[in-house]
Amino acid sequence: MDGSAFLARVGAYHEAGWRLALINATTVVAPAAGTHGHVTTAEAATTGAGAPTSAGEVPAPATPPAPSAPVAPPAVEAPGVFEIAWAFARGNEFETIREQIEAGEAVPSVSELFGAAFLYENEIRELFGINVTGIGLDLHGQLYKTATRVPFSHAAIKARLKANAAAVKKP
Amino acid sequence: MKKTVIPFGPQHPVLPEPLVLDLVLMDEKVVDAIPTIGYIHRGLEMMVERVEYTEMGFVVERICGICSFMHGMGYCVSLESIMNVEVPERAGWLRLIWAEISRIQSHLLWLGLGADAFGFENLFMHCWRMREQILDIFEKTTGGRIIHSVNRIGGVKRDIADSELAAILVQLQELGAAFKDTARVFRTDPSIAHRLGGVGVLTTEDARAVDAVGPMARASGIATDTRLLGANFYDRVELEPVVETAGDCLARVLVRMREIDQSIDIVRQAIDKMPKGEGQPIENRPRGLPAGETFTRLEQPRGEVLYYVKANGTKNLERFRARTPTFANIPAMIKLVKGCDLADVPNIILTIDPCISCTER
Repeated sequence: MDGSAFLARVGAYHEAGWRLALINATTVVAPAAGTHGHVTTAEAATTGAGAPTSAGEVPAPATPPAPSAPVAPPAVEAPGVFEIAWAFARGNEFETIREQIEAGEAVPSVSELFGAAFLYENEIRELFGINVTGIGLDLHGQLYKTATRVPFSHAAIKARLKANAAAVKKP
Repeated sequence: MKKTVIPFGPQHPVLPEPLVLDLVLMDEKVVDAIPTIGYIHRGLEMMVERVEYTEMGFVVERICGICSFMHGMGYCVSLESIMNVEVPERAGWLRLIWAEISRIQSHLLWLGLGADAFGFENLFMHCWRMREQILDIFEKTTGGRIIHSVNRIGGVKRDIADSELAAILVQLQELGAAFKDTARVFRTDPSIAHRLGGVGVLTTEDARAVDAVGPMARASGIATDTRLLGANFYDRVELEPVVETAGDCLARVLVRMREIDQSIDIVRQAIDKMPKGEGQPIENRPRGLPAGETFTRLEQPRGEVLYYVKANGTKNLERFRARTPTFANIPAMIKLVKGCDLADVPNIILTIDPCISCTER
Protein backbone atom coordinates (compact mmCIF):
# COMPACT_ATOMS: atom_id res chain seq x y z
CA MET A 1 0.00 0.00 0.00
CA ASP A 2 1.02 3.60 -0.54
CA GLY A 3 1.81 4.83 2.95
CA SER A 4 1.87 8.59 2.43
CA ALA A 5 -1.29 8.68 0.30
CA PHE A 6 -3.05 6.55 2.91
CA LEU A 7 -1.98 8.83 5.76
CA ALA A 8 -3.21 11.84 3.78
CA ARG A 9 -6.65 10.23 3.45
CA VAL A 10 -6.77 9.46 7.17
CA GLY A 11 -5.55 12.97 7.92
CA ALA A 12 -8.50 14.41 6.00
CA TYR A 13 -10.88 12.55 8.32
CA HIS A 14 -8.99 13.86 11.32
CA GLU A 15 -9.19 17.43 10.01
CA ALA A 16 -12.91 17.15 9.44
CA GLY A 17 -13.53 16.12 13.05
CA TRP A 18 -14.23 12.42 12.60
CA ARG A 19 -13.69 9.96 15.42
CA LEU A 20 -11.79 6.71 14.96
CA ALA A 21 -14.33 4.01 15.76
CA LEU A 22 -12.48 0.83 14.91
CA ILE A 23 -9.49 -0.67 13.15
CA ASN A 24 -10.44 -4.16 12.09
CA ALA A 25 -8.50 -6.86 10.30
CA THR A 26 -10.08 -9.69 8.35
CA THR A 27 -8.25 -12.63 6.88
CA VAL A 28 -8.88 -12.87 3.13
CA VAL A 29 -6.34 -15.58 2.34
CA ALA A 30 -5.05 -17.38 5.40
CA PRO A 31 -1.28 -17.44 5.71
CA ALA A 32 0.41 -20.84 5.59
CA ALA A 33 -0.27 -23.07 8.58
CA GLY A 34 1.78 -22.59 11.68
CA THR A 35 2.55 -18.95 11.01
CA HIS A 36 -0.78 -17.41 11.91
CA GLY A 37 -1.74 -15.42 14.96
CA HIS A 38 -0.40 -16.21 18.37
CA VAL A 39 2.36 -18.54 17.27
CA THR A 40 3.95 -15.86 15.12
CA THR A 41 3.85 -13.30 17.86
CA ALA A 42 5.15 -15.72 20.44
CA GLU A 43 8.20 -16.25 18.27
CA ALA A 44 8.55 -12.52 17.73
CA ALA A 45 8.41 -11.92 21.46
CA THR A 46 11.00 -14.53 22.32
CA THR A 47 13.43 -13.91 19.48
CA GLY A 48 13.09 -10.14 19.77
CA ALA A 49 13.63 -9.96 23.54
CA GLY A 50 16.48 -7.72 24.57
CA ALA A 51 16.52 -5.83 21.30
CA PRO A 52 14.04 -3.01 21.90
CA THR A 53 14.39 -1.42 18.48
CA SER A 54 13.44 -4.53 16.60
CA ALA A 55 11.34 -6.34 19.18
CA GLY A 56 8.11 -4.97 17.79
CA GLU A 57 8.85 -5.92 14.21
CA VAL A 58 6.85 -9.03 13.64
CA PRO A 59 8.50 -11.11 10.95
CA ALA A 60 6.44 -11.72 7.88
CA PRO A 61 4.41 -14.88 8.37
CA ALA A 62 5.59 -16.09 4.98
CA THR A 63 9.28 -16.03 5.85
CA PRO A 64 10.71 -19.27 7.20
CA PRO A 65 11.08 -19.27 11.00
CA ALA A 66 14.40 -19.33 12.78
CA PRO A 67 15.96 -22.81 13.07
CA SER A 68 15.19 -22.96 16.79
CA ALA A 69 11.49 -22.18 16.31
CA PRO A 70 9.23 -25.06 17.31
CA VAL A 71 6.83 -24.82 14.35
CA ALA A 72 7.17 -26.59 11.03
CA PRO A 73 8.51 -24.46 8.16
CA PRO A 74 5.57 -23.00 6.21
CA ALA A 75 4.95 -23.07 2.49
CA VAL A 76 6.44 -19.86 1.13
CA GLU A 77 4.38 -19.84 -2.07
CA ALA A 78 1.09 -18.75 -0.43
CA PRO A 79 1.44 -15.47 1.45
CA GLY A 80 -1.56 -14.42 3.52
CA VAL A 81 -3.75 -11.51 2.45
CA PHE A 82 -5.55 -9.37 5.01
CA GLU A 83 -8.13 -6.68 4.65
CA ILE A 84 -7.84 -3.86 7.13
CA ALA A 85 -10.73 -1.48 7.69
CA TRP A 86 -10.30 1.88 9.40
CA ALA A 87 -13.77 2.97 10.50
CA PHE A 88 -14.58 6.58 11.28
CA ALA A 89 -17.72 7.97 12.88
CA ARG A 90 -19.11 11.47 13.11
CA GLY A 91 -22.62 11.77 14.50
CA ASN A 92 -24.86 9.74 12.24
CA GLU A 93 -22.19 9.27 9.57
CA PHE A 94 -19.99 6.22 9.38
CA GLU A 95 -17.30 5.58 6.79
CA THR A 96 -14.49 3.12 6.32
CA ILE A 97 -11.19 3.11 4.51
CA ARG A 98 -10.25 -0.37 3.34
CA GLU A 99 -6.93 -1.67 2.19
CA GLN A 100 -5.85 -5.15 1.20
CA ILE A 101 -2.33 -5.98 2.25
CA GLU A 102 -0.08 -8.97 1.92
CA ALA A 103 1.35 -10.57 5.02
CA GLY A 104 4.54 -8.80 6.04
CA GLU A 105 3.72 -5.62 4.14
CA ALA A 106 4.29 -2.53 6.28
CA VAL A 107 1.16 -0.66 7.40
CA PRO A 108 1.73 2.85 8.75
CA SER A 109 0.29 3.63 12.16
CA VAL A 110 -2.36 6.35 12.49
CA SER A 111 -1.72 6.87 16.21
CA GLU A 112 -0.17 10.28 15.51
CA LEU A 113 -3.59 11.46 14.37
CA PHE A 114 -5.92 9.42 16.56
CA GLY A 115 -4.90 8.89 20.17
CA ALA A 116 -6.93 5.72 20.53
CA ALA A 117 -5.36 3.94 17.56
CA PHE A 118 -2.45 2.36 19.41
CA LEU A 119 -4.63 -0.24 21.11
CA TYR A 120 -6.20 -1.47 17.86
CA GLU A 121 -2.85 -1.49 16.12
CA ASN A 122 -1.09 -3.46 18.83
CA GLU A 123 -3.99 -5.88 18.76
CA ILE A 124 -4.02 -6.58 15.02
CA ARG A 125 -0.26 -6.98 15.10
CA GLU A 126 -0.43 -9.55 17.85
CA LEU A 127 -3.49 -11.48 16.78
CA PHE A 128 -2.99 -11.33 13.00
CA GLY A 129 0.75 -10.77 12.71
CA ILE A 130 0.24 -7.62 10.61
CA ASN A 131 3.33 -5.45 10.45
CA VAL A 132 2.15 -2.05 11.75
CA THR A 133 5.01 0.43 11.93
CA GLY A 134 5.49 3.49 14.11
CA ILE A 135 2.84 2.87 16.77
CA GLY A 136 2.65 5.69 19.31
CA LEU A 137 2.67 3.42 22.35
CA ASP A 138 4.43 0.32 21.10
CA LEU A 139 3.82 -2.62 23.41
CA HIS A 140 6.22 -4.96 21.57
CA GLY A 141 3.92 -7.94 21.46
CA GLN A 142 3.01 -7.61 25.12
CA LEU A 143 -0.57 -6.36 24.89
CA TYR A 144 -2.06 -9.83 25.01
CA LYS A 145 -0.24 -11.72 27.72
CA THR A 146 -1.13 -14.95 25.97
CA ALA A 147 1.38 -14.01 23.29
CA THR A 148 4.29 -15.05 25.46
CA ARG A 149 2.65 -17.87 27.36
CA VAL A 150 1.56 -20.29 24.65
CA PRO A 151 1.38 -23.20 24.70
CA PHE A 152 -0.40 -23.59 28.02
CA SER A 153 0.28 -27.31 28.11
CA HIS A 154 1.42 -29.06 31.25
CA ALA A 155 4.68 -30.10 29.58
CA ALA A 156 5.48 -26.52 28.57
CA ILE A 157 4.91 -25.23 32.09
CA LYS A 158 7.08 -28.01 33.52
CA ALA A 159 9.87 -27.18 31.08
CA ARG A 160 9.69 -23.52 32.00
CA LEU A 161 9.82 -24.28 35.72
CA LYS A 162 12.83 -26.54 35.14
CA ALA A 163 14.61 -23.81 33.16
CA ASN A 164 13.85 -21.28 35.91
CA ALA A 165 15.23 -23.61 38.58
CA ALA A 166 18.40 -24.16 36.56
CA ALA A 167 18.85 -20.41 36.13
CA VAL A 168 18.51 -19.87 39.87
CA LYS A 169 21.08 -22.57 40.71
CA LYS A 170 23.79 -21.32 38.33
CA PRO A 171 25.27 -18.38 40.29
CA MET B 1 14.53 10.73 41.23
CA LYS B 2 14.41 6.99 40.79
CA LYS B 3 11.41 5.53 39.04
CA THR B 4 9.50 2.62 40.55
CA VAL B 5 7.31 0.22 38.62
CA ILE B 6 4.29 -1.13 40.48
CA PRO B 7 2.05 -3.73 38.87
CA PHE B 8 -1.66 -2.92 39.26
CA GLY B 9 -3.58 -6.14 38.85
CA PRO B 10 -4.43 -8.76 37.63
CA GLN B 11 -5.38 -9.47 41.23
CA HIS B 12 -6.26 -6.27 43.01
CA PRO B 13 -8.72 -5.73 45.87
CA VAL B 14 -10.48 -2.85 44.17
CA LEU B 15 -11.13 -4.50 40.84
CA PRO B 16 -12.74 -7.91 40.50
CA GLU B 17 -11.59 -8.14 36.90
CA PRO B 18 -8.07 -8.88 35.69
CA LEU B 19 -7.01 -5.55 34.24
CA VAL B 20 -3.24 -5.15 34.29
CA LEU B 21 -1.44 -1.82 34.37
CA ASP B 22 2.25 -1.37 34.98
CA LEU B 23 2.39 1.93 36.84
CA VAL B 24 5.65 3.85 36.62
CA LEU B 25 5.91 6.04 39.69
CA MET B 26 8.10 8.92 40.76
CA ASP B 27 7.52 9.24 44.48
CA GLU B 28 3.70 9.11 44.74
CA LYS B 29 2.97 10.44 41.25
CA VAL B 30 2.19 8.18 38.33
CA VAL B 31 4.28 9.18 35.33
CA ASP B 32 3.37 6.37 32.98
CA ALA B 33 0.97 3.46 32.71
CA ILE B 34 1.34 0.52 30.36
CA PRO B 35 -1.76 -1.61 29.78
CA THR B 36 -1.80 -5.34 29.25
CA ILE B 37 -4.84 -7.43 28.47
CA GLY B 38 -5.34 -11.06 27.64
CA TYR B 39 -5.74 -12.77 30.99
CA ILE B 40 -9.27 -13.73 30.00
CA HIS B 41 -8.89 -13.72 26.24
CA ARG B 42 -11.14 -16.59 25.17
CA GLY B 43 -10.98 -16.22 21.42
CA LEU B 44 -14.75 -15.81 21.10
CA GLU B 45 -14.42 -14.01 17.76
CA MET B 46 -12.60 -16.98 16.30
CA MET B 47 -15.48 -19.24 17.36
CA VAL B 48 -17.60 -18.06 14.40
CA GLU B 49 -15.53 -20.39 12.29
CA ARG B 50 -16.83 -23.41 14.18
CA VAL B 51 -20.22 -22.38 15.57
CA GLU B 52 -23.21 -21.94 13.28
CA TYR B 53 -24.50 -18.40 12.88
CA THR B 54 -27.82 -19.24 14.55
CA GLU B 55 -26.06 -20.45 17.68
CA MET B 56 -23.35 -17.79 17.70
CA GLY B 57 -25.81 -15.29 19.23
CA PHE B 58 -25.74 -17.24 22.46
CA VAL B 59 -21.93 -17.22 22.45
CA VAL B 60 -21.87 -13.48 21.82
CA GLU B 61 -24.17 -13.00 24.78
CA ARG B 62 -21.58 -14.62 26.99
CA ILE B 63 -18.88 -12.07 26.10
CA CYS B 64 -19.84 -10.24 29.27
CA GLY B 65 -22.27 -10.87 32.09
CA ILE B 66 -23.35 -7.29 32.62
CA CYS B 67 -24.33 -6.16 29.14
CA SER B 68 -25.24 -9.66 27.96
CA PHE B 69 -28.64 -8.59 26.64
CA MET B 70 -27.14 -5.81 24.53
CA HIS B 71 -24.49 -8.11 23.10
CA GLY B 72 -27.13 -10.60 22.00
CA MET B 73 -29.24 -7.79 20.59
CA GLY B 74 -26.31 -6.31 18.67
CA TYR B 75 -25.52 -9.63 17.08
CA CYS B 76 -29.12 -10.23 16.07
CA VAL B 77 -29.52 -6.69 14.70
CA SER B 78 -26.39 -7.20 12.58
CA LEU B 79 -27.64 -10.47 11.12
CA GLU B 80 -31.09 -8.96 10.52
CA SER B 81 -29.59 -6.15 8.49
CA ILE B 82 -27.55 -8.63 6.43
CA MET B 83 -30.54 -10.91 5.83
CA ASN B 84 -33.04 -8.04 5.30
CA VAL B 85 -35.38 -9.10 8.08
CA GLU B 86 -37.86 -6.70 9.57
CA VAL B 87 -38.40 -7.17 13.29
CA PRO B 88 -42.09 -7.24 14.35
CA GLU B 89 -43.11 -4.08 16.14
CA ARG B 90 -43.86 -5.70 19.47
CA ALA B 91 -40.46 -7.45 19.45
CA GLY B 92 -38.65 -4.19 18.75
CA TRP B 93 -40.31 -2.51 21.70
CA LEU B 94 -39.61 -5.48 23.96
CA ARG B 95 -35.95 -5.31 23.00
CA LEU B 96 -35.84 -1.61 23.81
CA ILE B 97 -37.46 -2.20 27.21
CA TRP B 98 -35.06 -5.00 28.11
CA ALA B 99 -32.10 -2.95 26.90
CA GLU B 100 -33.04 -0.02 29.11
CA ILE B 101 -33.69 -2.26 32.12
CA SER B 102 -30.26 -3.81 31.64
CA ARG B 103 -28.77 -0.32 31.54
CA ILE B 104 -30.31 0.41 34.96
CA GLN B 105 -28.94 -2.89 36.23
CA SER B 106 -25.45 -2.15 34.95
CA HIS B 107 -25.35 1.37 36.37
CA LEU B 108 -26.56 0.20 39.78
CA LEU B 109 -23.91 -2.52 39.78
CA TRP B 110 -21.25 0.00 38.90
CA LEU B 111 -22.38 2.58 41.47
CA GLY B 112 -22.10 -0.14 44.09
CA LEU B 113 -18.60 -1.09 42.99
CA GLY B 114 -17.58 2.56 42.94
CA ALA B 115 -18.93 3.09 46.44
CA ASP B 116 -17.05 0.05 47.63
CA ALA B 117 -13.82 1.40 46.11
CA PHE B 118 -13.98 4.64 48.03
CA GLY B 119 -14.91 2.91 51.24
CA PHE B 120 -18.70 3.18 51.45
CA GLU B 121 -19.63 -0.44 52.11
CA ASN B 122 -23.19 0.32 53.10
CA LEU B 123 -23.82 2.31 49.95
CA PHE B 124 -22.48 -0.63 47.97
CA MET B 125 -25.01 -2.95 49.60
CA HIS B 126 -27.90 -0.55 48.98
CA CYS B 127 -27.05 -0.25 45.28
CA TRP B 128 -26.79 -3.98 44.88
CA ARG B 129 -30.02 -4.53 46.81
CA MET B 130 -31.78 -2.40 44.19
CA ARG B 131 -29.99 -4.20 41.38
CA GLU B 132 -31.35 -7.44 42.78
CA GLN B 133 -34.90 -6.21 42.10
CA ILE B 134 -33.96 -5.62 38.46
CA LEU B 135 -32.51 -9.11 38.23
CA ASP B 136 -35.82 -10.43 39.57
CA ILE B 137 -37.62 -8.63 36.74
CA PHE B 138 -35.27 -10.28 34.27
CA GLU B 139 -35.79 -13.68 35.83
CA LYS B 140 -39.54 -13.29 35.65
CA THR B 141 -39.62 -12.06 32.05
CA THR B 142 -36.76 -13.93 30.37
CA GLY B 143 -36.08 -16.88 32.64
CA GLY B 144 -32.46 -15.91 33.29
CA ARG B 145 -30.95 -13.45 35.70
CA ILE B 146 -27.67 -12.72 33.91
CA ILE B 147 -27.72 -14.58 30.60
CA HIS B 148 -31.17 -14.07 29.13
CA SER B 149 -30.99 -15.67 25.66
CA VAL B 150 -34.25 -14.04 24.56
CA ASN B 151 -32.84 -12.48 21.40
CA ARG B 152 -33.22 -14.37 18.18
CA ILE B 153 -32.38 -13.36 14.67
CA GLY B 154 -35.66 -11.78 13.59
CA GLY B 155 -37.18 -11.04 16.95
CA VAL B 156 -37.39 -12.23 20.52
CA LYS B 157 -38.21 -15.56 22.06
CA ARG B 158 -40.70 -14.49 24.73
CA ASP B 159 -43.48 -11.99 25.03
CA ILE B 160 -44.32 -10.09 28.20
CA ALA B 161 -48.03 -9.84 29.05
CA ASP B 162 -49.44 -6.31 29.17
CA SER B 163 -50.44 -6.72 32.81
CA GLU B 164 -46.91 -7.73 33.66
CA LEU B 165 -45.47 -4.75 31.79
CA ALA B 166 -47.65 -2.45 33.87
CA ALA B 167 -46.44 -4.16 37.04
CA ILE B 168 -42.82 -3.79 35.92
CA LEU B 169 -43.33 -0.08 35.32
CA VAL B 170 -44.74 0.38 38.82
CA GLN B 171 -41.83 -1.56 40.25
CA LEU B 172 -39.31 0.53 38.31
CA GLN B 173 -40.91 3.80 39.38
CA GLU B 174 -40.84 2.70 43.00
CA LEU B 175 -37.20 1.80 42.54
CA GLY B 176 -36.52 5.21 41.00
CA ALA B 177 -38.13 6.91 44.00
CA ALA B 178 -36.12 4.79 46.42
CA PHE B 179 -32.96 5.46 44.45
CA LYS B 180 -33.36 9.20 45.06
CA ASP B 181 -32.42 8.58 48.68
CA THR B 182 -29.27 6.71 47.67
CA ALA B 183 -28.44 9.29 45.04
CA ARG B 184 -28.64 11.99 47.69
CA VAL B 185 -25.64 10.38 49.43
CA PHE B 186 -23.58 10.43 46.23
CA ARG B 187 -24.54 14.04 45.57
CA THR B 188 -24.17 15.60 49.01
CA ASP B 189 -21.77 13.56 51.10
CA PRO B 190 -18.67 15.69 51.78
CA SER B 191 -16.29 12.70 51.87
CA ILE B 192 -17.41 11.57 48.42
CA ALA B 193 -17.09 15.10 47.05
CA HIS B 194 -13.61 15.28 48.54
CA ARG B 195 -12.58 11.87 47.21
CA LEU B 196 -13.96 12.23 43.67
CA GLY B 197 -14.36 15.94 43.00
CA GLY B 198 -11.59 17.36 40.82
CA VAL B 199 -9.88 13.95 40.54
CA GLY B 200 -9.06 12.52 37.13
CA VAL B 201 -10.27 15.45 35.03
CA LEU B 202 -10.72 14.65 31.35
CA THR B 203 -11.18 17.88 29.44
CA THR B 204 -13.44 18.06 26.40
CA GLU B 205 -10.47 18.39 24.05
CA ASP B 206 -8.73 15.39 25.60
CA ALA B 207 -11.91 13.33 25.41
CA ARG B 208 -12.13 14.10 21.68
CA ALA B 209 -8.42 13.40 21.15
CA VAL B 210 -8.62 9.91 22.63
CA ASP B 211 -12.04 9.11 21.13
CA ALA B 212 -13.81 8.47 24.42
CA VAL B 213 -17.32 6.99 24.24
CA GLY B 214 -20.39 6.74 26.43
CA PRO B 215 -20.72 8.19 29.93
CA MET B 216 -16.99 8.92 29.86
CA ALA B 217 -17.42 11.36 26.96
CA ARG B 218 -20.73 12.72 28.26
CA ALA B 219 -19.16 13.56 31.63
CA SER B 220 -16.62 15.66 29.73
CA GLY B 221 -19.24 17.74 27.99
CA ILE B 222 -19.58 15.86 24.69
CA ALA B 223 -23.25 15.29 23.89
CA THR B 224 -22.78 11.93 22.19
CA ASP B 225 -25.22 9.08 22.50
CA THR B 226 -25.62 6.30 19.95
CA ARG B 227 -29.30 6.00 20.86
CA LEU B 228 -29.83 9.39 19.23
CA LEU B 229 -29.14 7.78 15.84
CA GLY B 230 -32.67 6.45 16.14
CA ALA B 231 -32.14 2.82 15.19
CA ASN B 232 -33.91 0.02 17.07
CA PHE B 233 -37.04 2.08 17.88
CA TYR B 234 -35.10 4.76 19.74
CA ASP B 235 -36.42 7.33 17.26
CA ARG B 236 -39.90 6.78 18.71
CA VAL B 237 -39.02 7.79 22.27
CA GLU B 238 -37.84 11.13 23.52
CA LEU B 239 -34.43 11.28 25.08
CA GLU B 240 -31.83 13.91 25.79
CA PRO B 241 -28.20 12.90 26.26
CA VAL B 242 -27.15 13.29 29.88
CA VAL B 243 -24.20 15.68 29.86
CA GLU B 244 -22.01 16.95 32.67
CA THR B 245 -19.18 19.38 32.06
CA ALA B 246 -16.78 18.92 34.97
CA GLY B 247 -15.09 15.84 33.50
CA ASP B 248 -13.91 14.53 36.87
CA CYS B 249 -14.73 11.27 38.67
CA LEU B 250 -17.75 12.84 40.37
CA ALA B 251 -19.17 13.96 37.02
CA ARG B 252 -18.97 10.39 35.73
CA VAL B 253 -20.89 9.21 38.80
CA LEU B 254 -23.54 11.89 38.26
CA VAL B 255 -23.98 11.01 34.59
CA ARG B 256 -24.69 7.38 35.41
CA MET B 257 -27.08 8.29 38.21
CA ARG B 258 -29.07 10.57 35.93
CA GLU B 259 -29.13 7.90 33.25
CA ILE B 260 -30.95 5.56 35.64
CA ASP B 261 -33.80 8.09 35.85
CA GLN B 262 -33.64 8.56 32.08
CA SER B 263 -33.90 4.83 31.43
CA ILE B 264 -36.93 4.48 33.71
CA ASP B 265 -38.55 7.29 31.73
CA ILE B 266 -37.74 5.58 28.41
CA VAL B 267 -39.30 2.33 29.66
CA ARG B 268 -42.41 4.31 30.63
CA GLN B 269 -42.64 5.87 27.16
CA ALA B 270 -42.10 2.50 25.49
CA ILE B 271 -44.83 0.79 27.50
CA ASP B 272 -47.12 3.72 26.64
CA LYS B 273 -46.43 3.59 22.92
CA MET B 274 -46.11 -0.09 22.12
CA PRO B 275 -49.05 -1.91 20.52
CA LYS B 276 -51.19 -3.61 23.14
CA GLY B 277 -52.77 -7.03 23.08
CA GLU B 278 -51.88 -10.69 23.36
CA GLY B 279 -50.80 -12.98 20.57
CA GLN B 280 -48.95 -10.46 18.42
CA PRO B 281 -46.08 -11.72 16.30
CA ILE B 282 -42.75 -11.40 18.06
CA GLU B 283 -40.53 -13.26 15.67
CA ASN B 284 -39.93 -13.01 11.96
CA ARG B 285 -37.76 -15.97 11.11
CA PRO B 286 -35.26 -15.36 8.31
CA ARG B 287 -34.90 -17.79 5.44
CA GLY B 288 -31.72 -18.89 3.73
CA LEU B 289 -28.16 -18.19 4.75
CA PRO B 290 -26.60 -14.79 5.37
CA ALA B 291 -24.31 -13.20 2.79
CA GLY B 292 -22.88 -9.72 3.09
CA GLU B 293 -21.34 -7.55 5.73
CA THR B 294 -22.43 -4.87 8.15
CA PHE B 295 -21.34 -2.58 10.94
CA THR B 296 -23.78 -2.14 13.82
CA ARG B 297 -23.64 0.51 16.52
CA LEU B 298 -25.53 0.37 19.80
CA GLU B 299 -25.36 2.33 23.03
CA GLN B 300 -24.42 -0.04 25.81
CA PRO B 301 -24.38 1.07 29.45
CA ARG B 302 -20.66 1.77 29.09
CA GLY B 303 -20.84 3.51 25.75
CA GLU B 304 -20.92 2.83 22.05
CA VAL B 305 -20.39 -0.76 21.00
CA LEU B 306 -19.53 -1.64 17.43
CA TYR B 307 -20.06 -4.98 15.71
CA TYR B 308 -18.62 -5.97 12.37
CA VAL B 309 -20.14 -9.07 10.84
CA LYS B 310 -19.10 -10.58 7.52
CA ALA B 311 -21.05 -13.51 6.16
CA ASN B 312 -20.27 -15.46 3.02
CA GLY B 313 -23.39 -17.49 2.35
CA THR B 314 -22.44 -20.48 4.46
CA LYS B 315 -23.74 -21.37 7.88
CA ASN B 316 -20.56 -20.12 9.51
CA LEU B 317 -19.76 -16.43 9.49
CA GLU B 318 -16.47 -15.33 8.00
CA ARG B 319 -15.66 -12.69 10.58
CA PHE B 320 -17.25 -11.35 13.72
CA ARG B 321 -15.72 -8.45 15.58
CA ALA B 322 -17.02 -6.67 18.65
CA ARG B 323 -15.40 -3.38 19.62
CA THR B 324 -16.67 -2.87 23.12
CA PRO B 325 -16.89 0.48 24.93
CA THR B 326 -14.20 -0.38 27.47
CA PHE B 327 -11.76 -1.09 24.65
CA ALA B 328 -12.43 2.39 23.29
CA ASN B 329 -12.09 3.97 26.73
CA ILE B 330 -8.76 2.43 27.73
CA PRO B 331 -6.72 5.18 25.99
CA ALA B 332 -8.73 7.75 27.95
CA MET B 333 -8.07 5.87 31.17
CA ILE B 334 -4.33 5.80 30.52
CA LYS B 335 -4.41 9.51 29.80
CA LEU B 336 -6.11 10.13 33.16
CA VAL B 337 -3.85 7.88 35.19
CA LYS B 338 -0.72 9.69 34.00
CA GLY B 339 0.04 12.46 36.42
CA CYS B 340 -2.33 11.44 39.20
CA ASP B 341 -1.54 10.26 42.71
CA LEU B 342 -1.16 6.53 43.31
CA ALA B 343 -4.03 6.64 45.82
CA ASP B 344 -6.42 7.99 43.16
CA VAL B 345 -5.63 5.28 40.59
CA PRO B 346 -8.35 2.83 41.77
CA ASN B 347 -11.07 5.49 41.64
CA ILE B 348 -10.04 6.72 38.22
CA ILE B 349 -9.94 3.22 36.80
CA LEU B 350 -13.34 2.40 38.27
CA THR B 351 -15.02 5.51 36.94
CA ILE B 352 -14.46 4.42 33.34
CA ASP B 353 -16.54 1.36 34.35
CA PRO B 354 -14.06 -1.15 32.98
CA CYS B 355 -15.38 -4.46 31.75
CA ILE B 356 -12.36 -6.57 30.99
CA SER B 357 -14.33 -9.58 29.75
CA CYS B 358 -15.75 -7.31 27.04
CA THR B 359 -12.34 -5.90 26.21
CA GLU B 360 -10.57 -9.20 25.72
CA ARG B 361 -13.37 -11.35 24.33
